[in-house]
Order: sequence, then structure tokens, then C-alpha cells
Amino acid sequence: MSPRLPGKLAQLPLTPIWASQCIVRSHVPVRTFGIRSLNPPENSRFNVGHDLPVLKSTPTAALERKANTLPLRTGAITLKKGMTAIYDPETGKRVACTVLQLDRVEVVSHKTRQKHGYYAVQLGAGWRRPDNLTKSLLGHFTASGISPKRHVYEFRVKDESGLLPIGQAVNADWFQEGQYIDARSNSKGKGFAGVMKRHGFGGQDRSHGVSLTHRSLGSAGPSQGGGSRVYPGKKMAGNMGNEQNTVQNLKILKVDLDNGLVVVNGSVSGPRGCVVRIQDAIKKPWPEVLPSSEASS
Amino acid sequence: MATSSPILQQLGCFRSLLRPQSLTQSSQLGRRALSTVYSAKPEPQPLPANLPEQFIRQLPLRMRPSPERKTRKVPPPPPAPKCKDPIGAVQEAQLAQLDPTGERMALFDYRRNPRSVKVGDILRVTFKNGDPFSGVCLSIRLRGIDTSFLLRNQLTRVGVEMAVKVFSPNVESVEIVQRTEKRKRRARLYYMRKPKHDMGSVENLVANYLRQKRSIAGKKTGGASKRR
Repeated sequence: MSPRLPGKLAQLPLTPIWASQCIVRSHVPVRTFGIRSLNPPENSRFNVGHDLPVLKSTPTAALERKANTLPLRTGAITLKKGMTAIYDPETGKRVACTVLQLDRVEVVSHKTRQKHGYYAVQLGAGWRRPDNLTKSLLGHFTASGISPKRHVYEFRVKDESGLLPIGQAVNADWFQEGQYIDARSNSKGKGFAGVMKRHGFGGQDRSHGVSLTHRSLGSAGPSQGGGSRVYPGKKMAGNMGNEQNTVQNLKILKVDLDNGLVVVNGSVSGPRGCVVRIQDAIKKPWPEVLPSSEASS
Repeated sequence: MATSSPILQQLGCFRSLLRPQSLTQSSQLGRRALSTVYSAKPEPQPLPANLPEQFIRQLPLRMRPSPERKTRKVPPPPPAPKCKDPIGAVQEAQLAQLDPTGERMALFDYRRNPRSVKVGDILRVTFKNGDPFSGVCLSIRLRGIDTSFLLRNQLTRVGVEMAVKVFSPNVESVEIVQRTEKRKRRARLYYMRKPKHDMGSVENLVANYLRQKRSIAGKKTGGASKRR
């Protein structure tokens, strides 16, 4: 085949096509194949204008929305030590209370708007043996000159004025008696629980022909009319507890700086010894910060 | 590919015949593939001193001088909180405020104090708002700040029980009206709720006690003999 190619190429009428195309171009508008608009839009395909509302799906808008509910200052990592009672000497009223202890709480690092998209203080509590730590975490701690911490949590704050200097200790007097806090902790794990325990279902009859399904759920959904399927979110048996729970607006009854104790009103989720993160209550006015607590380090 | 002509293939055999004998024999003696020929590991040549940075960057990674290992010192932990029993600390602080002399604790600590209240005793409690309550002590619950006792009485022939917190500021005084005659062999006398064992009303005993007390107080010219 190849030896015959030059002959065939020579036969092609190349020059007449070139000449004819040049003649056509001068008269008819350019024809390009493929779908293209004759009048391409000049503006962006988005609806843009100075009188339009600001988009709500941007990080800036999200931060603005959260501005009123983000605390001004950081909270603290505490350990739940147990419950007891406190008598009010004037009224003689007994209130149940939870005792929380702060264990060497220090600022480990910051999260900033510029780098991470939000402001937060990363706190660490307790102590962990350095040889029981991954190298990356060890570097994270030692780079900021802090001993390795057992528990590390972030506390979001509104702006950079709430970022404490790295390495500063947060002591019990960070909180004041009488102020309100939100306590966040994991509830007690109940393991794999049935629907009666987990969702409060009624169960089925003891008798009247019911056999072996006294504590089970009834129907899981409608039949053919409902699509013959189980809808998403159907309450069923499964793992119960050991999920984060926030108890809001707990009053601080007592603060003991020497022992690092914070005594709060009422109960807090979780077993004894669990980690409880406390921060200023978002549904109460922010507490007036005392200068002494800022200076303590 | 164009196949070579059969004549040329035959001619190719001549090449092996033309090859010198000595070479072919020697290769058979020490038959080794090229890849397995041993060659000593080259000695790593030290890099010239003061090599500029731009030359070092061009070297493959394995030949570059290894950077100094960063060894950061792990700071020692701050001192741990001394308080090992926070619940006890909170309770002790409360007790120091509510019961500074330890009188009330001693009155009900039946495990340590032999002269304390025992179950089966008839007690009379006065509250801050002025309502007294009396009854037979069914149980004593020793729980630190939450220590309490259970009193049973009959008011208008209806059985009534009241659990009283020992350290509540609302409790003004606790008096022992009558000690039990015989040591009870149970810690909790819940059997006394049954009609067979029910003591009934203790109001008569308490009224007697109050009369005696008033007469003694009259002799002593108004010395209050409240046992707290």
C-alpha cells in the first residue's frame, strides 16, 4: 500500500479547495460546527448585582450567624468526680450537685479564621507518658512547650480576643460562683438495647396469643401502599448511650481553686471519671470576666 | 517484518563457526549472568565541603547529607491536683459549716459512737418552722452529708413516716424521748410497718416526756435541756 501513496496524494485536488474556501469566507459568516450561541452572555451565569442579598452559604455568613451564640472566652476540660449535695444555709434548701475537677488544663494551640476557618482554643488536660504517644502528637505538644496531655479538646470562641496565649493554664477560678455553664459529655453506654428501652416503645402483650415477641417492635412500616420499604430513620434496636449530650444552664454553686474543683448544680451526663467540657452558657448573658482569672497562669 | 531469505539464514550459522574458540570455552567455564557479577559496594565519597545549596538540591535524595535530627525536650508535667477525694472535700466543707462541733454526726453515727441514737428509739424532731414530729426510728442511713433517719408514728390512726435529713438547716433539734429497751437485732425495722408489730401512736410517750422535761426545767429555772 505505502509505495502507492505518493501517487494518490498527487491525485488529490488540493489547490482548488483552498481557493474556493477563501472566496466563501469573504461573504458568508463563519460556520463552526458544534452548538454555540450567536449572542454569548456577557455577564456571569450567576445572578449578580449590588441590590441582591448576600449569599448565606459562605463561611463568612456562617460565622456571622454564629456570632451571637459563640462564647467570648474558652471553657475548660474537667473530670466528673461524682455527685453530692449542698445545703443553702439561708433557705435550708438542699440541692444535688456534681463535683468536677480540673486537672492541669493548659492551652495547647489555636484555631484561627485565616488558617482553619474558625476561632477556637485547643485545650489539653491530664498527663500522658511521652512514650505512650504518637510522634506526631508528641511534636504537637513539645513544639508549643507543653507536657503531653491525656485529653485534648477544642472550645470555639467568637473572635481572636478569646484566644488565650499558648501554654496558659486554665484554673478553677476561670469560673465564678453563680454563673451558668453548659456541660458537654458522653452519656453512659447501654450497649445494644431493644426498642422498649431505647425508644420507649410499648412492646407487645404478655399473652393473647403473642409468643416470643413481647419486647419487640411491631410493624416496621406500611405495606404496598407505602412503597413496601422501611423508611429511613425508623426507630429500631441498636446501640444506646455513649453519645455526646449537652446539659445547658447549670449554675456553678462553688469554686475551689486549691483543689481545682467546680461544683455545678444538678446532674451531668456520663459515668464517674468521664470527661466533661464546660463553657459559659450560651443562653445566659456572658459572665463579667474578673481580671484575676485572666492573670492566673 | 520482512523475513530474511533462507540463504541468509544459513549464512548466519557461519558467524558462530568464525568465532574464536578460546572465547567460547572461557565463557562456559565461568558461566555467570551479567546481573550476578559481584562488584564491591562503592565507598561513599564524602561530599566536598561548603557545597553550595543549589548543588545539593540537584543530588538525589539518598546522596544528600542527612539533616540534623530535631530532638525537642519533652517538658515535665505540671504538679497534679493534690485533692484525691473531691467529694469528701466538698462534704467536709459543708459539714464544717452545718455541724461545726460534730455533735449531730456523733448523735447518729451508731457505728462509732455507743451513745448514739439506735433504731427502735423514740425521737422528737423540731423544725425551724416550729412543727415538731415524733416517732419511732426505723432506720438510720449514714451517707455523709446526706445522713438521714426514718421516723414512724400514727396520726389519727393513720401510719405516717418521715425521713429527716440530719444536717438540714431546717432541723432545729433532735431529742431522744425513750431509748429502746432491748437492742434491736435488725438494722432496719421495716417489719414494724406490719400490723402485728406496729407500735401505734407514740404521742402519749412524747407527752409524758415533755411534761417531765417541763417540770425539770421549772426546777432548774428555765434551763433548756435540748439534746441536739
